[in-house]
Amino acid sequence: MERLLQVIFNGLSLGSIYALLALGLVVVYRGTGHLNFAQGEMALTGAYLTWQFDQWGIPLLLAALLAMVCGFVLGAATEFFLVRPLGKKSPFAVFVATIALFLGLNSLDGAIWGGEAKAYPSFFPNKPDDFMRVFGAEWRYERFGVLVVVLALTGVFFLLFKRTKLGLAMRAVASNPDSAKLVGIPTNLVLMTSWGLAAAVGVLGGSLVASVNTNINQGTMIVIFIAASAAATLGGFDSPGGAVLSGLFIGVIEVGAADYFPEWIGQDLRILPAFIIILAVLLFKPAGLFGSARVERV
Amino acid sequence: MSEQFLDVRGLHAGYGPVEVLHGVDLHVDLGGIAVILGANGAGKTTTMRALSGMIGRSGHISFDGHDISGLSPEAIVRLGIAQVPQGRGTFPELSVEDNLRAGAYIRSDTEGIGADIERWFTAFPRLRERSAQKAGSLSGGEQQMLAIARALMSRPKLLLCDEPSLGLSPLITQELFEALHRLNIDEGISILLVEQNANLAVKIASQVYLLETGTVVGSGTADEISRDDSIRRAYLGY
Repeated sequence: MERLLQVIFNGLSLGSIYALLALGLVVVYRGTGHLNFAQGEMALTGAYLTWQFDQWGIPLLLAALLAMVCGFVLGAATEFFLVRPLGKKSPFAVFVATIALFLGLNSLDGAIWGGEAKAYPSFFPNKPDDFMRVFGAEWRYERFGVLVVVLALTGVFFLLFKRTKLGLAMRAVASNPDSAKLVGIPTNLVLMTSWGLAAAVGVLGGSLVASVNTNINQGTMIVIFIAASAAATLGGFDSPGGAVLSGLFIGVIEVGAADYFPEWIGQDLRILPAFIIILAVLLFKPAGLFGSARVERV
Repeated sequence: MSEQFLDVRGLHAGYGPVEVLHGVDLHVDLGGIAVILGANGAGKTTTMRALSGMIGRSGHISFDGHDISGLSPEAIVRLGIAQVPQGRGTFPELSVEDNLRAGAYIRSDTEGIGADIERWFTAFPRLRERSAQKAGSLSGGEQQMLAIARALMSRPKLLLCDEPSLGLSPLITQELFEALHRLNIDEGISILLVEQNANLAVKIASQVYLLETGTVVGSGTADEISRDDSIRRAYLGY
């Protein structure tokens, strides 16, 4: 029981990071139909910026907020300068461009901040005894904090989608861009905002990852991004709630696999079982658990 | 010549290098219903898309005293032109009510929007019954009603309807035209209607235009059009 709870606590915390990046992927995909391969590296760049601002003496929370604003600008600029002109020509061009951006941002981060890992500040108390005991299991404040932040942000996104005019516009553009224009929605502005929001959320995710890892390096986001893509796929690419739930699920399975089968899964193969489950699910539900197979009347 | 409510002269438009409209002239009177008849490929939909700013176009287009030939779709909606696109163009993943809210995007009077939703729910009771349902799950006729109600949510002065009868049964089509006629009379909304099945359309029209391969080849009042034997045979089919 204790062990299971421990696995669940640690898994939820790891999974919430996946969820955050998956949420960004889904927001972009719903709006533009593109998979943003650079999402993870945008998050890395933002996490480095948080570190940099912190180094310059800006309080950590403010530093993260500033980095999120920079992430927003980076995401919006990507939509404006890359996705919009290329998308008119071919969706594959956008695909390649986001991969180029992935590699470019990673190299740029390496060039600016060096290949060595940098010690990363923590957003939450993280001394050895900073934990609460729940039925014998230790729930560290930093892991609990990450989960709370992610769930709160998911709630904000949910309200944004369902209750605000911007959210309505985003859903309308995703559903039928032509008709969105005809009712007077400035679709380009909405798409730019979607990319910006997705990148900003990613930056927060990246900063939280680095904070829990207590360090950051060029490779920090790569595995995280793969797991986040898997979460978005499992949840169904058009379902923000599905992405979050799937992210949490993958996190728990991953931590559980490593903990319960240390001999033949252990740390090296820990992400594998989650992927096997995902593949099995997708065989039966190709649109993902919560995704809607698109219905069109012709 | 006095300026018409919607005045189109020498309209050229097309898709990329392909020009579809080669100088279309037409106008809609304030409070009138104008109908464009034409076969497949004549340029009817292209005309509609050009008027609402969805595609590149050149020529003179003025509406209610404004030159709208270079404006964005958004600006054109704000001036009071709403379009019901061909194939209905609802937001299939959004609920019926959200479709209507999206139609009111350019407005910010929350109470007025709520009142208008209520009003169109009363006019189209089927939509009220299905207000929480996704638009994609409605029948063709219901979706067409929704598309019209959505366009009306922007409180337009001119409604552009692109083949609203497409795919609908004769009975539903009849209801639809009655609804359009009522809108015109009760609300004073001017209408420009594109149709392939012309009989019902001509009955409610004040002005009719015949479009062939991107130019207007004939025009007249509804009476004149239905009296002309060759036109009647070619366009009205009896």
